[in-house]
Amino acid sequence: MKTKYTSEIFELLRRGRFICSNSPDDRIKMLYNILEEEETFYELQNYFAHINYNLEHGNEYFYFSRLESNTDLDRKLNKAFGWIDLLDFLKTFDTSFDVGFRFSPAEIVNQLKNNADLKNKLDNLKRLGADKKNYSERVKKIIEQLVKDDFVALENEMSETYKVLTSFNYLKELVTAINIPEEIENEIPE
Amino acid sequence: MDIQSFNDIKELLTALKREDRLFYEMFGKRKSLEFKLSYALELVDFDEARIDYLVKKSVLRENGGLLEIDGLFLEFFEQVLEVNEEINLASIDENIKSIQENIVYFLNENSEHRRHAYLREIKRIFRKIGVVTIRSVIDLRRKVDNTFKNEPNFKNKQLKLKHLDEKRVMVKKLSGQALDLINENQLVFFKTSQDEELKRIITELKLQLNECSHNLIEIEKQIIDYLNQIKHQGLFLEKLRKLKYLKDHFTIEAETDIKQHLAKRNSLIFERRLGEPLNLSLDYILNEERAFASIKKVAKNYKSRTHIVLELAETIATDFLENNVEQEVMINLEEVRNHFLATGDNLFNFIVNYNFNKDVGFEERVTVYCQLVSIYDQEFMIANEFENFNGVEYAMVYPK
Repeated sequence: MKTKYTSEIFELLRRGRFICSNSPDDRIKMLYNILEEEETFYELQNYFAHINYNLEHGNEYFYFSRLESNTDLDRKLNKAFGWIDLLDFLKTFDTSFDVGFRFSPAEIVNQLKNNADLKNKLDNLKRLGADKKNYSERVKKIIEQLVKDDFVALENEMSETYKVLTSFNYLKELVTAINIPEEIENEIPE
Repeated sequence: MDIQSFNDIKELLTALKREDRLFYEMFGKRKSLEFKLSYALELVDFDEARIDYLVKKSVLRENGGLLEIDGLFLEFFEQVLEVNEEINLASIDENIKSIQENIVYFLNENSEHRRHAYLREIKRIFRKIGVVTIRSVIDLRRKVDNTFKNEPNFKNKQLKLKHLDEKRVMVKKLSGQALDLINENQLVFFKTSQDEELKRIITELKLQLNECSHNLIEIEKQIIDYLNQIKHQGLFLEKLRKLKYLKDHFTIEAETDIKQHLAKRNSLIFERRLGEPLNLSLDYILNEERAFASIKKVAKNYKSRTHIVLELAETIATDFLENNVEQEVMINLEEVRNHFLATGDNLFNFIVNYNFNKDVGFEERVTVYCQLVSIYDQEFMIANEFENFNGVEYAMVYPK
């Protein structure tokens, strides 16, 4: 019957998490490899479809979606807006912030000292850690959120290095997919 | 100012040696654009003549209170120390040409001694070609990496990488030319010359050029990859910036198709994470050893909690709860008034003789008299006559 990891895969994905090919967690990496086998993938996709979960294969990651929406549009919009702010912040921190990028909270905090733009953007990220007074705690809060959503993962506990996971592609694809009509695009200043 | 050159190498070396402290500092700061003359003076013990000498020999150049090392010397230092940032391809090109020239001289020359000199020159240049080519490949590689990682300006990053790619093509062309020279163009020379050392140098050069061409292929791949990444990142950044702009101006919903787009996406990540309140299987709790262990563990936690014993007061003695009746006879002033109104007597006399159902002393009777007069003064007629009784003077009061 399928694979012996079915329940483990299910438990991970049903919490809205991703199974990424470059996860520092060997266990997840192994699950990725299992899912990558085409036969297993289709079998599991079929299997989960019976309980209304759609197993999807993204660019180097797997995730669950539903056949019918279970969430109202407002919530999705809110979430997407949050991601746009977050992406904007991260890309301001480093334009090469992308899959495989490694960073530590200290680096972000350090850059806050001499990058007014970044600081400004952090101040505008009100939803995350607005109650925290100092920057390092707010940055920590932001990273916690990213870890919770499974876009980055702690790679080295000693040096506090985080790694950007392949699920980051999901965010990028979302942004890329949104269409801005040309006449609007021309109105946006450089 | 007339420019003088050094008379010989000795003079040059002495001059450099004398100001080694200055050169050390200036070389270290060559990237920053400012090296003040006043600071330089400190390093030459405030002897302006020493700096003037170097300026005259055009080792240093002075401009508006700032000092810099002349380009020729700077290049020399950088090349020798292998810290140059510019990849100089002109030298490879020149070297190839000069080899060709020297080969022609060599073949034309009959004097053995002169031929030997040309041969030596040719060997020197071959060696140099190898070293310079390898160095430019290494520099190229380092520069590509550095540019990609450190260049903050996005457009310049792209341009610089494109220029580096052009340089890569040049290096490839030049190393190809060098190989052509050895393998095809000057076959006669290489066949005729029986010099062992030359053969060794040529073999080594071929190995070096071979290594270069491998490296160049790798660099090409790297540059293409970087350029793609930049292009991709650039497009993405642009898009992100625009979306952010629209979002911050609250027009994103109206002006893009974000709503339709999100409506299509039903990923679980959008959903609230819910805990599942599932009940335990009763069978499991009753029969499983593990469940029992868990129950014991939980129970232990419960036990360790300190029970707060409520402090109770002592029981109340029963006799406190019995009814204790104490009776006191009160004088009903109203009744006394009613009785009084029914008589024709005066009030004082009436009260003194009134039967109150209990013992009432004279003093108290006087008090009752006063109370009645003050309360019911409207119903009584208070005459303007007074009498004395037991030393008390009282007004005569009658019912109306």
